[in-house]
Amino acid sequence: MIENFIGRIKPYALPLVVLIITWIVIASITPSFRGAGSVYAVLEGFPMVGLVALGLGVTIIAGELDLSVGSMAALAATIAVLTESAGLVGCIVIATLVGTVLGAVQGTLIGRLQINSLVFTIGTLILLRGLTYISSGNAPIIIQNFMMTDPLLDRYWIFSISSITALIVFILIGLFLTYTRWGREIFAIGGARNEAIAAGVPRVQPLTVSFAISAGCASLAGALAATRGGSAAPQNYADLLLSGAAAALLGGISLYGGRGSVLNVALGVAVLTVVATGLAARGSAASLVQLVTGALLLIMITIEFLAGRLTLKDTIFGAGLRGRSRKTTDTSD
Amino acid sequence: MSEPSGVEPVGAAPSQSTRRPRADWLPQAIIAGLAVTAITVSIILTPSFLTIDNIRAILRNASIVGIVAVAMTPMTLSGNFVSLAISQSSMLAMVSFVAMIGAGWPQPVAILIVILALIVVGIVQGIIVATGLNPIITTLAAGAIIYGVVSEITGGGIIRAGDNLVSWGSSTLAGIPIQVLVFLFFTILVTILMSRTVIGRETMLVGANRATAGISGISIFRVTILAFVIFSVGLALAGILNGAAFNQATARSFPNLTIDVIAALLVGGTAIQGGQGSPLRSAGGALLIAVISNMMVLNDFSTGGRLAVQGGVVVVIVVLLDQMRRRRMASS
Repeated sequence: MIENFIGRIKPYALPLVVLIITWIVIASITPSFRGAGSVYAVLEGFPMVGLVALGLGVTIIAGELDLSVGSMAALAATIAVLTESAGLVGCIVIATLVGTVLGAVQGTLIGRLQINSLVFTIGTLILLRGLTYISSGNAPIIIQNFMMTDPLLDRYWIFSISSITALIVFILIGLFLTYTRWGREIFAIGGARNEAIAAGVPRVQPLTVSFAISAGCASLAGALAATRGGSAAPQNYADLLLSGAAAALLGGISLYGGRGSVLNVALGVAVLTVVATGLAARGSAASLVQLVTGALLLIMITIEFLAGRLTLKDTIFGAGLRGRSRKTTDTSD
Repeated sequence: MSEPSGVEPVGAAPSQSTRRPRADWLPQAIIAGLAVTAITVSIILTPSFLTIDNIRAILRNASIVGIVAVAMTPMTLSGNFVSLAISQSSMLAMVSFVAMIGAGWPQPVAILIVILALIVVGIVQGIIVATGLNPIITTLAAGAIIYGVVSEITGGGIIRAGDNLVSWGSSTLAGIPIQVLVFLFFTILVTILMSRTVIGRETMLVGANRATAGISGISIFRVTILAFVIFSVGLALAGILNGAAFNQATARSFPNLTIDVIAALLVGGTAIQGGQGSPLRSAGGALLIAVISNMMVLNDFSTGGRLAVQGGVVVVIVVLLDQMRRRRMASS
């Protein structure tokens, strides 16, 4: 019973400790970062970085990586502004649906062609950015009806509409991954692809689903940000890949596929947002946040590496890994 | 354990070597065919395409991306994928070069220090990657750290060469811009290094089949470090050349270099899994993209149209090359 419990919380121990430590450190050096206000600020990280990290996390669990999330978010932001006549909910839903469909197409192509997703999504990263510039007319666009987006700016205790939406998506995708057959297939195909396919897991469908989720989440993030801010610029969100990947990996999603959960992503997002808002509250520039994010990311993958948690997996990163581990045994004699 | 579907290390089996000539010939023919088509269409659509000035402009545009793409090729060939810190590293080189010139340091000293500094930064990443950490995430983190450090030091402002303007950055030799000459010589150098030296062949083998390479006694550590050193020299050259051309730099310099370089490398036909490709092909990829971009600029394409076409070309070529590679392996 107790062993079972420890086994269950073990994957969350490290990110949880990191979260508590960073929160205490930031709260003690930043007076404004305390109480309900700080919880609100951290939850505000979920609609943007959180959703992107969630989508990226799902593709990493599937043993792939979607580099196109930043461009996808920018495209969805543009679509949301262009379709404002559909109403606040309408334009966000339209933008998210368009993104999800594009992601499903992308995932199906990656699965069908059996192409490396890094290679494919580098191309779509450029392509989608181009489509964003075209649809926005190569310039920032603004929402005409400013009143429409007012509900997004309201604060309810520690929540906002955006953060509640994001948290609901986290819960839904968490349930989907854990309790549905399609969700389990994503883990199977990321953990041991050939064995999973030999056991009857479809080759293409889990990739279609995971890339649809990743694009859908990025699109929702972009649409929420655009409607909230009342504008969309075609060059936006290129940095989302760094913060999204950093959050997913900080939370303990394994880079080697097949392991991790939505709770891991949520912890990672919380750590990253505590650092970002804490530094911002102290008046630090965004570049310092990037610096700290990069350092945290490096520390985290080093810990994961040293902890020996990585086993040899058939994933996108597996080829190099397999050789490396053999090399250590080969050179020892 | 069987190989994963998407990432088969290209077999170094003896049966494959007999198929080599065809293997190398087809992808290159496709790239060459596309380049010829692009150029033909350009000439027909736009008379101004075939002027000396325009050709010079194309080569100049291709050279910075080309230098870095050529420099990164050994790293990709050795199975270490690509770097996501390209923009930031070249920016570091450019900012530090301009800063040293602005402080009145002699140019040769500044050039030497920039190259050495970039090599040190590259070796640090190389050691981390060679130890076994994921190259994509390592370089993603390194890029964020480099950008953060430079931004903190410069305060986000513009660094200028001041009174000590560098004059040779925009100069030409026999009508050829200095960047193009550097691109040419660097490509020849790296090509010879990869195809005519032992370490070059070792790099190919490590990328083609890491396990076999390790068993054969090749030091994967040494190969990885050398690949990062060559890469760093290319990054330094790109930064120095742009620094000398513009005489000013910011932490936001080279905004699109990472994507452009990876696109050039992939379009050139170097396999991201390693073991297949050459620096020469990456140079060709950079030229092809420059030709297509130039054609679109001359025909008044918007930023969006250019990006969309560039992205489309990258997707199509990459898928084509990957499918051919797959067929070939299935048949061997």
